[in-house]
Amino acid sequence: MKQETVGKAAVKSSAAPTVARLPALRRFTRENAPEVLALLTGAALWEVLGWSLGLQWLPPFSKVMEALAQFVGSGVIRANVGSSLQGLIVGFSLALILGLLLGSLMGRYRYVQKALDVYVHALFVCPSIVFAPIFFAIFGLSDASRIAIIVVYSMFVIVINTATAIRTVDPSLVEMARSFGCRERQIFTRILLPASLPLVFAGIRLGMGRAVKGMINGEMLIAFVGLGALAQRYGAQFDATKVFAIAMVVLIIGLASNALVEMLDNRLTRWAG
Amino acid sequence: MIRVRGLSKEFGTRDNGGGVLALTDIDFEVHDNEFVTIIGPSGCGKTTLLRIIAGLIPYDHGEVAIDGRAITGPGPERAVVFQNFALMPWADVLANVTFGLEVRGTPPDECRDKARHLIKLVGLEGFEKRLPKELSGGMQQRVGLARALAVNPQILLMDEPFGALDEQTRRLLQEQLLRLWEGQRKTVVFVTHSMDEAVMLGDRVMLMTPRPGKVKEMIDVPLQRPRSPQVEKSGAFVEIKEYLWENLRAMQVGES
Repeated sequence: MKQETVGKAAVKSSAAPTVARLPALRRFTRENAPEVLALLTGAALWEVLGWSLGLQWLPPFSKVMEALAQFVGSGVIRANVGSSLQGLIVGFSLALILGLLLGSLMGRYRYVQKALDVYVHALFVCPSIVFAPIFFAIFGLSDASRIAIIVVYSMFVIVINTATAIRTVDPSLVEMARSFGCRERQIFTRILLPASLPLVFAGIRLGMGRAVKGMINGEMLIAFVGLGALAQRYGAQFDATKVFAIAMVVLIIGLASNALVEMLDNRLTRWAG
Repeated sequence: MIRVRGLSKEFGTRDNGGGVLALTDIDFEVHDNEFVTIIGPSGCGKTTLLRIIAGLIPYDHGEVAIDGRAITGPGPERAVVFQNFALMPWADVLANVTFGLEVRGTPPDECRDKARHLIKLVGLEGFEKRLPKELSGGMQQRVGLARALAVNPQILLMDEPFGALDEQTRRLLQEQLLRLWEGQRKTVVFVTHSMDEAVMLGDRVMLMTPRPGKVKEMIDVPLQRPRSPQVEKSGAFVEIKEYLWENLRAMQVGES
């Protein structure tokens, strides 16, 4: 019994260094080759179609990159990205705090769950953008409107996942904790919270993606600042090249924020893998 | 001493009166440092009884007391070993074993020292940093045992602790438990569905009948301590085991 486990560990530890010893570039290409290939193919296809079709709404990839370079060079992007990110960080943080709090309460207490479930699901299913005019009426053309939209976009998926995560924690762990005399607060911090982390993080990842959407949609509708406003302006001018260039920036923000959450997730919930 | 008098427990009483009587008229005592095993067909409420003694679920009528004090919830003089181990999958072996000590406010240094001692005692030295999923079932339950023993309980409540293990592992763990218990005696209530296990470990075997759960008989096991695996070949062992099987068979024959 003992030996079998020791044997397994030995296999694991002898395999790990070989991966680590590979040069970074080779490791990257070995692990990410399909992704890199897909991106390169996509860009090539885009370029060819852009030139051959000559459609106004499909500028070639190289033209989009050119426009992007100009944006970056002129400093337009930096100012707008800063403004957008500021809203994203504040809005997503609020959504995270509220989502975890509400989700925890709903997951732990059946009465809270029953009372709030219909609202949470209604707001989750409802296209969040319909709230934009309401927020505009309340907060006007301020940052608060943009932030409020980001919150409604990203909060409810976090609430739902957190509630499910807490509710589905192995009841025998809670019983174990009670048998050692744990009070409600200890059960929460020592059992429910760590046990629900993998599923909670799944919700946070979805919420992060929705927050980026909320950021752009909010800015397109009710703000004069940020990437959304910029996209809105060039869209009105039918300048597809510049709209695509901004879409590229949004794409990068989306991927980067997702990678950030993923990194945190991998660190905190390695045990679940 | 654990003293149970006239205990009854009904489940689902809230649903239009159609409750299921899980236990009725349970009377028995477990003396200090005695090892009592509880056996009965499934549905006899043996696990329910153990959970009541653990203070994890309430009971309806009767008296359940430890040294004269009625049980109202879990207490520091008791520790439970669970059938499915109930280890925290995110915590390594050391952190799992220190759990009970930590939540009871033991200083961190003391937690670690005690836990290390117990990890050694159950034969898991060198595995302190392993996660539960990296251990075999038998090793996981040894962690569960170490966690329970770490808080130095006067009473150890074991709910089919080896029921989820294969037979070879189960026998090794039975031997280890006997050695540990014979080295440092405690009051043990041990629920099992294995007749071998019931006779092998217990000073007395409590035989229960199902629907509703009742105590049929308390059977003395007059086998010497310390017990070795050879005891299984003795006449007394075989006799008690056969007596248990006759009874258990009779209880279930009409049902299946």
